[in-house]
Amino acid sequence: MVNLNVNGRTVEIDISPDTPLLWALRDELKLTGTRYGCGAGMCGACTVHLNGEAMFSCQLRVGDIEGDTITTIEGLSPEGDHPVQKAWIAEQVPQCGYCQSGQIMRAAALLSRSPQPSRDEIVDEMSANLCRCATYSRIIRAIERAAQEG
Amino acid sequence: MTIMYGGAEMGQGANTALPMIVAEELDADWSTVSTEQVGNDLDGVYGNPSIGGILYTAGSYTVEGYFNGLRQAGAQARQILRQMAAAHWNVPVPEVTTRQGTLLHNATGRTMRYGEVATLVQPDMPVEAVADEDLKPRSEWTIIGTDVDRLDIPDKTTGATRYSIDVDVPDMVYAVQLLAPVEGEAPTINSDAAARVIDGVLDVMALPNSVAVLARSFWAAVAGREALDVSWTETSPFRTADSEAELQNLTTAADDPNADAVVWESRGDGGEDYSAGNVITAHYTTEHVYHAQMEPLNVVASVDEDGLGAEIWIGTQSQTVSVAIAAAVLGTTPDRIRLNAMQMGGAFGRRTWFAREMLRDALILSRAAGRPVKLVWTREDDVKQGWLRAATVQRFDAILGENGALEALRHRVAAPSTFQFVQPDRWNPEVRTDPLIMEGSESRDYDIPEFRAEHIQAPRVSRLSAWRGIGWGPVCFGRECFIDELAEQAGSDPVSFRRRLLSNSPRGLGVFDAVVAMSDFGNAPEGRAHGIAFAGYKSSYASGVAEVSYEGERLRVHRFWAAVDPGLAIHPQSYLSQVEGGILFGLSSVLAERSSFTAGQIDQNNFYDYEPIRMYDVPEIEVQIIDSDNPPSGGGEIGVPMAAPAIANAVRALTGAAPNRLPFPRRT
Ligand code: FES
Ligand code: FES
Repeated sequence: MVNLNVNGRTVEIDISPDTPLLWALRDELKLTGTRYGCGAGMCGACTVHLNGEAMFSCQLRVGDIEGDTITTIEGLSPEGDHPVQKAWIAEQVPQCGYCQSGQIMRAAALLSRSPQPSRDEIVDEMSANLCRCATYSRIIRAIERAAQEG
Repeated sequence: MTIMYGGAEMGQGANTALPMIVAEELDADWSTVSTEQVGNDLDGVYGNPSIGGILYTAGSYTVEGYFNGLRQAGAQARQILRQMAAAHWNVPVPEVTTRQGTLLHNATGRTMRYGEVATLVQPDMPVEAVADEDLKPRSEWTIIGTDVDRLDIPDKTTGATRYSIDVDVPDMVYAVQLLAPVEGEAPTINSDAAARVIDGVLDVMALPNSVAVLARSFWAAVAGREALDVSWTETSPFRTADSEAELQNLTTAADDPNADAVVWESRGDGGEDYSAGNVITAHYTTEHVYHAQMEPLNVVASVDEDGLGAEIWIGTQSQTVSVAIAAAVLGTTPDRIRLNAMQMGGAFGRRTWFAREMLRDALILSRAAGRPVKLVWTREDDVKQGWLRAATVQRFDAILGENGALEALRHRVAAPSTFQFVQPDRWNPEVRTDPLIMEGSESRDYDIPEFRAEHIQAPRVSRLSAWRGIGWGPVCFGRECFIDELAEQAGSDPVSFRRRLLSNSPRGLGVFDAVVAMSDFGNAPEGRAHGIAFAGYKSSYASGVAEVSYEGERLRVHRFWAAVDPGLAIHPQSYLSQVEGGILFGLSSVLAERSSFTAGQIDQNNFYDYEPIRMYDVPEIEVQIIDSDNPPSGGGEIGVPMAAPAIANAVRALTGAAPNRLPFPRRT
């Protein structure tokens, strides 16, 4: 049994403590907005917030994070209206969309840490996440917009 | 209002662009439109006329193939609504007009929404056909050509979009495969005892080229797979396949005067002697690349109790192919296959024929287990089982005239056939030249008196599939690099030399001159240089300029300008995203993308040794759409062919050394 605090709820899951958080979210809690891309900490499709910080959920074992606060894309905002999400729509960022939950979670964490990031800061931070459709320019514009419109 | 569309959505925005065309002629209220992708098209209504009338989304054919038919369909539907309203109101049809989803009878002031009309009983009267002349003239368009918001984007910002990997149906179990390390080999299970005792593992099953572990969760299935003890037949002819050896063989073939070179395109009288002393020769090599779509391949299948039908959830570029495969596997008819065509997490040419193995395996597993099965490949599986873009070695021979004009050019491409691998039953062995390799090598816009493009077909030593840009990527890379070489030898420059070649191509010159102007070509800041390429894709035209520098050993592409003429862009913002995505795909193939194989096994594993472009390598990109008022064409591929040669030519201008290989060799 593992107890996790996900999106403001405490849930008890019957899985082995070495299961990656990614698979606990997707297969047990059915929070499929967090995506699987590589399982190796290389693509960021699985990015969630752990105590407010962007982390690769494929690299976290549930047994290690029982007391921590986990936020997924489903819990980022009640109505899907976090400033980053609104900016993503305004800039029409997604193409296939598969990487975008992770991109949005990383961008949101960046902005809460650094509300007015420089372009270099954005590029440094966001280079952790791959987008094979290469929506990168729009991602930069959306983050700049979110920083402005808060 | 729901508009069904036949194309498959893999990120390119077909879900918005296609319905826009229908809505335009239908005079629909766009704010009420939602859309749905067609699954099993049993009546054969939704197929793409440019691809044999089947549901198959590839080659940027979607907008081009569907444009006329969808306009007709929209207009015809509007006509039927008008007839129904006229009958209901008892007024002549010509007096019934439409405005944004509403039918009006001006004389009496009566109105009805489309939705209301649709609930009326259809009167028994012949439908009046709409003639092409009665379609809206372009000046009256209010939807086509505008930047409406894409309909799929809100769900893609909340995680709500469902890909096949997210499908969850009652009683479903997960499956992971231990896949044959070398193509075509069969497994023997020495022991599965250790796998079966793992918590959550339900079953272990041998399949034709794999062993599958069924489990209550994906993670348990992965753990089960690790505990298997399996050996393989080790008899595959691909056991000796080696990518370096293949490149050697391709080079030998390209240089062999007696090679079986099959003409793909020829102009002029063909009497040129390319062994003479004044011939300029160069070689270009493109290595294998892998698609790396972000969603690893997966399929969900639920076979019916009688074993003769199934429901399927799949992200596929061809619903038609997937249905046919499923019906064949189950020995049933297509009407028993319920196909849910899911949003794809990227495709880029990978999701065409993959169903013939993966869907087959999911169906076999579901039938055996008697329950729905979600079969998922890990990223490692996806990399190791890649269907690669064929490697090419290209040899160019050219003769310049006294005046520096290009008089004769021979473009030889040594490569295996992709088509033969993906569609063996449609491959005609007599033809021996493959459009998926050769298309783009025609150099149709260049005025060259003596021209030949030839395919030297080599045996296949890896699995192959088209990759974004198809043949155009490799062949335009070689040709456009060689054109810069010729310009130098002719004592000309990259712009004047190409302008002369393009003198009979107004659309070609249009994009070329535009990009020269946009980039202020040749006036790069200190320490940087510009390179240019002209490379279209099918009926689209494009030209690009790259601005590069080296930071130590690291190649930096700072800026990229492109001018593209698609004829007409239905949904400009999606089109621009596609062009930009294509340019970055091309740039990515320059930097680090490379699949290699040794003893029949792909050497790379995951994104740590196969790395697509990341944000820190993304240049500032500026794209200008040139509207030439020609029929529309798609934007999926057009960015790719121009990117790599423009960058290579910029490196040449900067360093004097011209890269002749993709990816570029590391600078030392
Ligand atoms: S799935 Fe976690 S980083 Fe790729
Ligand atoms: S939008 Fe397709 S991978 Fe990012």
